[in-house]
This record gives sequence, C-alpha cells and structure tokens, in this order.
Amino acid sequence: MQRRDVLSPGFLYFVMLTLFLYAPIVVLVVFSFNDSRTLVFPLRGFTLRWYGELAGARELLAAVVNSVVLGLMSSVVATGLGTAAAIGIARHNFPGRRFFLAVSAMPMVIPYVVLGVALLILFSWWGVPLSLWTVGVAHVVINVPYAMLIVASRLAGFDKNLEEAAMDLGETYWGTLRRITLPICAPAMLSAFLSSFTTSFDEFAVSFFLIGTEATLPVYLYSQLRFPSRLPLVVALASIIMVVSILLVTLAEWLRNSTLHLSRQGSA
Amino acid sequence: MINATSKLLRLRFAAQTAARLLAAAIVLGGCAAPAAAPGEAVAMQPAAAATGPLLMLEWSGYELPEFWQPFADQHPNQNVDFSFFAEDAEAFAKLQTGFKADLVHPCSSWWQLYVDAGLVQPIDTARLSNFSGMRPEMSAMGVFGGKQYFIPWEWGYESILVRTDKVKNPPKSWADLWNPEYAGHLALWDSGESNHAMTALALGFKPEQTTAAQDELIKQKLLELKPSVVTYWVDFTEVPQLISSGDAWVVANVWQDAYATLVGDGVAVDYITPSEGRLGWLCGYGISSQSANVNLAYDYINAAIAPKSMAKMIDTYSYGAANNSALALADPKFIKLLQLDEPDILQRTVFFNSITPDRRKRFTNLWDEVKAAP
Amino acid sequence: MAPPALLLAVFFVLPMLIMASFSFRLGTFAPERYVFTTEHYWDFISRTSFHRLLLRSIGVAFITAGASIVLAYPLAHFLVFRAGRMQLTLLSLLIIPAWTSYLLRILAWKVILGSNGLLNSFLLQAGLIQEGSARLLYSPSAVVVTLVYVWIPFVALPIFAALQRIDGSVLEAAADLGCPAWQTFLRVIFPLSLPGVAAGFLFVFIPTLGEWVTPALVGGARGVMYGNLIQDQFVRALNWPMGSVMSLVMLALMLVQLALFSRVVRLSDLAAV
Repeated sequence: MQRRDVLSPGFLYFVMLTLFLYAPIVVLVVFSFNDSRTLVFPLRGFTLRWYGELAGARELLAAVVNSVVLGLMSSVVATGLGTAAAIGIARHNFPGRRFFLAVSAMPMVIPYVVLGVALLILFSWWGVPLSLWTVGVAHVVINVPYAMLIVASRLAGFDKNLEEAAMDLGETYWGTLRRITLPICAPAMLSAFLSSFTTSFDEFAVSFFLIGTEATLPVYLYSQLRFPSRLPLVVALASIIMVVSILLVTLAEWLRNSTLHLSRQGSA
Repeated sequence: MINATSKLLRLRFAAQTAARLLAAAIVLGGCAAPAAAPGEAVAMQPAAAATGPLLMLEWSGYELPEFWQPFADQHPNQNVDFSFFAEDAEAFAKLQTGFKADLVHPCSSWWQLYVDAGLVQPIDTARLSNFSGMRPEMSAMGVFGGKQYFIPWEWGYESILVRTDKVKNPPKSWADLWNPEYAGHLALWDSGESNHAMTALALGFKPEQTTAAQDELIKQKLLELKPSVVTYWVDFTEVPQLISSGDAWVVANVWQDAYATLVGDGVAVDYITPSEGRLGWLCGYGISSQSANVNLAYDYINAAIAPKSMAKMIDTYSYGAANNSALALADPKFIKLLQLDEPDILQRTVFFNSITPDRRKRFTNLWDEVKAAP
Repeated sequence: MAPPALLLAVFFVLPMLIMASFSFRLGTFAPERYVFTTEHYWDFISRTSFHRLLLRSIGVAFITAGASIVLAYPLAHFLVFRAGRMQLTLLSLLIIPAWTSYLLRILAWKVILGSNGLLNSFLLQAGLIQEGSARLLYSPSAVVVTLVYVWIPFVALPIFAALQRIDGSVLEAAADLGCPAWQTFLRVIFPLSLPGVAAGFLFVFIPTLGEWVTPALVGGARGVMYGNLIQDQFVRALNWPMGSVMSLVMLALMLVQLALFSRVVRLSDLAAV
C-alpha cells in the first residue's frame, strides 16, 4: 500500500469499520482475563483462572477440532459444487435452468431448524446413523447456494467470448474450463470458501438435530450457556480461537510475501 | 482491433487471477494445518470397548467424569459416548426418529410423553443400590402406571431474582410482578410453560389443571404485563448479565444457579420465595426401550445417583440433588445459600409435572400470542 | 451440473417435500401423524398475530439488507481499488471476527450497549446524556443494528468479487477520456457491480426473513420476529405440522420476492440466465 493511501477516506473507513467489527472481540478478550463470572464493567482484576480451567475441558477442545474439520471439508465440497452449479447456470443452456436457479436459492430462506428436522426424518428413514457426516451434508446444502451466487455473480460479467475464443484456438472443453473459466472464478471461489467456512463454523440450529456423539463447537457452546458459571471458560476459548485465527492469517500473508519475494529474485 | 486488445487484456487479467488463486491456496493451506479426518477426532475416549459404547443422550456439561466416577471404576474399559441436546424437544424428536441412545435425560414435564410413546422401559429400583437415599416425592414423579420409568437426578427452583439496591419494594409474590414500580426493568423467561405456570399461580389457579377459560385470563394477564417487560430472556447466562448490568432489576423464573453466580460476584441480589410458592423443575434418567446395554445403563444410573457424584453436581452447577444423602457431602455454604434443604420452601414448591402434547401446544400458542402482540 | 443438482434434489427438495407433507398432518408423531388435515392452514389464516410478525420481518429484512449494502460497498471498493497487495490480508481481517461464536459476539455487544455498558458510561461521562436515559438495547432497531454488524463481511464478499472482475482497461479508458472519478464510479463501476450488490442483498434479505436468534437476544419484548414463532413451533411445542405451514408461507413469500426482485434488478444479471 502506498503512503498516500494511509490517509485516504477509503482507508479511514476501512479502519473504522474494522474497529466496529472487532470491538466485541476486544471486549471478549479483555473479559477472558477478568476475575468475575459475569461480563460487566467495571473490571475486577486480572486472572488466568479461566484459561487454566479450559485446559481440563476436554470435550470443549474436541469440539473445536470437530468444528474446524467439519468447516474445512464441508466448505471445500460446497465451494466445488457451488462453482460447478454457477458455471452450469452461467455458461450452459439446459432445460429447467431458471427452475434450478430458483430451487437452489431456497435453502437460504428455509429456517435452519426446519431443514434440520426434515433431514433428521430423512436420515432416520434411510437408517443413516447421525454423525459429523450428517451435519456435514447439511452444511454443504446450506452453503452451496451462497457459493453458487458468489461465483455466478462474478462469471456474469465475463464475456463468454473469452472461452469461445479459447475453444476456437483449439483448446478442449475441459482445457478451457481449467485454464480460463476456473481462473476467472478463483477470487470468487475464495470468497465462497470463506463464507461457507464461516457459516459452518458457527452453525448450531441444524447441527443440533443431526449431530451424533461428536459435538461441534457451536453445539457445545450453545448448550453450555445453560450454566452461567461456565461462561468465562467459553469466553476464554473464543479469545484463543480469535488470536489463533489472526496468527494464521498473518502467517499465511507472511508466507505469501516471502514466496513472492523469492520468485522475484529467481526471475531477476 | 480494439476487441483483440481487450481480449488480450482479459487474458492478462486471467493470469493475475491465477496468481491470486495461488495466494488463496496459501491462505487456505495455512488454515488447513490442524485438519484431521472426522474419524480421528474422537481419539479422546479410552480405547478398547467391552460391548460397544454406552450411548448417552445428555445435556452438555453433564458429561464431566466426576458425575459418574463409580461407573468408570467398575468398568474401566467401557466407552461412554455422549450426544448432546439443548432443548427437551430435540432429545425427544431424536429418540422418536430412531436415534439409538441407551440412556436419556429429559425433564419431568416430558416424562409421560416418553412413556406413552414406548421410548423408555420400566426400571427395577431394587437393582440400584444408591436408590435408598432418594427423595421419595421426587422419585414418585417418575412413576407411571405403577412402574418407575425415570430416576430423578437434578432439580432446581424457578423463582424471582431482585436487584435489592435498585428496587425499593421487592416483590413478595408472583402477583407482585405486575407492580408498576418494576416497569421497564422487568424480564420474563421466554418459555410458554413457565409463564403459564407463574401467571396461573399469580391468579390463584392450579397450573396443572387450568381450563381453557382460565388460560384466556392468563393470556390477558400476560398481555397486561407486556409494556413493563424489557426483554424475554432466552438462555440462563443471560440472567446474571441482565441483573448485573442493570438492564433488569426484577427477573422472573430464574434458577438458583444464577443467584449463586451473582452472590459470588458480590452483586446485591435477593432470591424471593413468592407467597404462592416457588416453581420447581426436575430432570432424570430413563433407559431406552431399544437399549442393548441395559446392565451398563443400570450401573451408570447407580453411579450417577451415588451421593458423591450428586454432591459434585451441587458444587459444580448449584442445582439440587434428588439423592438426600448428597447434602452431607456438598459444600454446606451452597446448601444454605441455595436453600436446597429448607423443608418450608421445598414443600411449598410447585414442581412441573408431565403435560400432554395438547396442553404443551396450548401453552406455546398462548405465549406466542403474547410475544407477537404489538 | 449433475452433482449439485443431485445434491439439492436428495438433501433439499426431498426434505422439503417431507415438510410439505407434514403441513397436512394432524400431529408430529404417531398416531396423529397419519391423520391428514388442512386444519393448520386454516389456523394460520385466522392468526392475525402471525401475519403481523411476518410483515415486521419483511420490513426488518429490507432495512437490514439496504443498510448492510450501503455500509459494505465502500469497504469492498476500497479493498479492490485501493488496498493493493494488502487486499487479501485486509479481506481476511474482515472475515475473522465472524469466526467467533455469534452468540458470544452478541453477548459482547450487550456489554458495550447495556445500561451500565461502555457506550453509556462514556456518554454519561462526556455529559452527553442523562443517567438512565439511553436505552440502546431491546428494541427492533437494536435487531437491525446487530444484524447489520453481523452481515457486513458477508455482503462485502460478493461485492468484492463483482468489483474485482471490472476490467482495469475500462477504468483507464474512462480516465483517458477525462471522465471525473465520481462519474466513472456512477456510470461504469457501480452499474458493473450491480450483480454483486444484488447477490449481497439476497444474502441478507433471505436469511434475515427467518432470523430468530438476534431478535431473541436483543429485540426485547417488542422485537420478536416471525422466525421466533417458527422456532417455538418446532422446538418448544413440538408441533411440526404448524411449523411446516408457517415455513411454507415464508418460502412462498420468498419466491414472490425473488420474482419482484428480478424485475427491478434483473436477476438475469446475477447468473447470466
């Protein structure tokens, strides 16, 4: 970023909104060190007690792992399927295209609890035992429409000529898809993945009905809210997740920069 | 010509996006580091099961090993798996649609429904060595058609919590909630069943036996209260927040654990005993009629109702224990503060009994009408 | 094309058909489950409170979607055109807060906005308000504010994706022709980003219509929404038939809205149909 941008209105706006988005996070982190079981000002003094107690909460930690795995896997699948659907809708003529578009937007409006109940009945008919897999299927269903819309809205403006030109120049259908269409979709696919992961990582309404013996984090947290005394632990855990997420993104950025740097040196 | 240039430009752009995809892959790769297959994530349970895991359909938080330590001692190689629920209706729906749990832990107002649906089997209390210390009036609530179907485990009060430094005249009864002094600082629980019972008591009705006409009066009474209500609280952690932040001064149908939390934090609060009596809830274990681990299920229940296990539960969550012998082992400060053993209060407490699906529907509709009122 | 269609058919259309069939059943479980009736539809028609809340939900969804777009658009614009190499990092920064449990973030907002909260204490200290005069929580507007907070990153994503595909040469051409920046924006950038804006609008509008957690936590006694009633029917009353009827009504409404929407913004833009 250039120097002049630091003071540009756009950047200031970005900073303001980021502060707005992080305000509650900061509050949570502060309270995770506060020696009180309720989140109320004024603060009462520093403690590491909640983090200490957290170390013993094995079910909670297992739930974190489950949620990360579930989020990653269901988002990859949802992004893949959503992209396929978007390409199909944007680039191909097939009967019932409009109908497909309308149906595929519907999971967005169904209250998740309804989807949860309906899928519960379905799985029980088929005798499929409840597990993280059944929750994963539901998360894919929830996220495909979003992924599709994100990717489709990106493809919408791209000229089909680009792909047609590639085909004219002797590229195969799959080659065009791989070399032209997918690169076009890539930024939108990343958006779709992030949005899917975010949804899956925090979804509990459907999960409650479809979960087996391995809890996801939101399922566990939500039912923990039955116990006022457990709140500080939950807050401490949220703080850790937050800090780890920020570290991961920073690390990724650092890696990316150093690879770019290396490649530049290599080509010089 | 112009067209060709723009195509070239676009191809260049495609190359740029490919570079971005790489970057994205790095970002994602970074995030993916802690990944493991879902199957591997379970590896926290002890290995080598004897007869397949004992499957509990349980409230989260009750899985703590100290709540069933004798079972672990008795069956050191036995896996115990927990499936959590947050609402009674979820647990019932799951079991009803064929979820294969061995033990289930619903609350008293749902028990009859489980029995009628044939989801649970009678329990032979003679096989539970720790049953002798149980409070008889609570155990009796688990009896249907002369057979014991549910073994009570934990119970609690539902009463009024007051911020004493903000309110001049604390309420003395459920009916006092309608006192205009609390307007704008009153919070009710978002529960049709509890509000129905609370208002019935305030009007002098028996909550279990209200007629349709009385229910209409209850609805009117609740509508009358609506302008005074700041919010309908949903989860139990909300109550300490509401009270200590000063958003609410009087909160109805609060469990005693919120009171304990607030006292522990030094907030000026009082937990009222309304003249009509407190409300009381009770939950407990039933053995699924589909269970293939009946013997283990018995051993688990016996371990859970052991005085030591129940004393842990009192100390951890501030709930009451259905086994009287637990009182001697729990922290006496808690027992006193929470009034878990005051016969005067306990005997006048109105416990929620089983209700029929029709009545549950009626209460929900009644409460929805109140919530939806302008 | 086939896999996503198959997935939706099996795990969405089929469950929805099950739900539709439930709307004609007398009760949730046997034996009432096997008695067919239209009773719940008639009941729905007679319940004016349901209709009122449905209207309220539509209003809240509209306002929330509009406000989210207005706030998120400059953000996406900045990221695409001004952030340069930092783009992805900054984008990730926007998303990360959403990885904290939603319930906890709401709880934190209540700490900030509550009667003795950060904001009120600050305003009080600054002499801008009187003791106990400001109530920022527990109202329908608190629901809107909270939802906007939640949705901003989700709305920024599709707008971001749409803005990114705008060809740099178009902007250069506009600049070469002496087009002032604001005109370039109004005539070139904004129209080209409309599909993303439309996607963002739907992202917010549709789920907000069925929203129930936020109204339950910050809406207060008067902020209850239609989704709360559906939730009650499913998880409190265990009355799946009534809940199904209510959900189907909402679904139908959503389809009507999509149809209207497609006239105004041309849904075809969105997916190039």
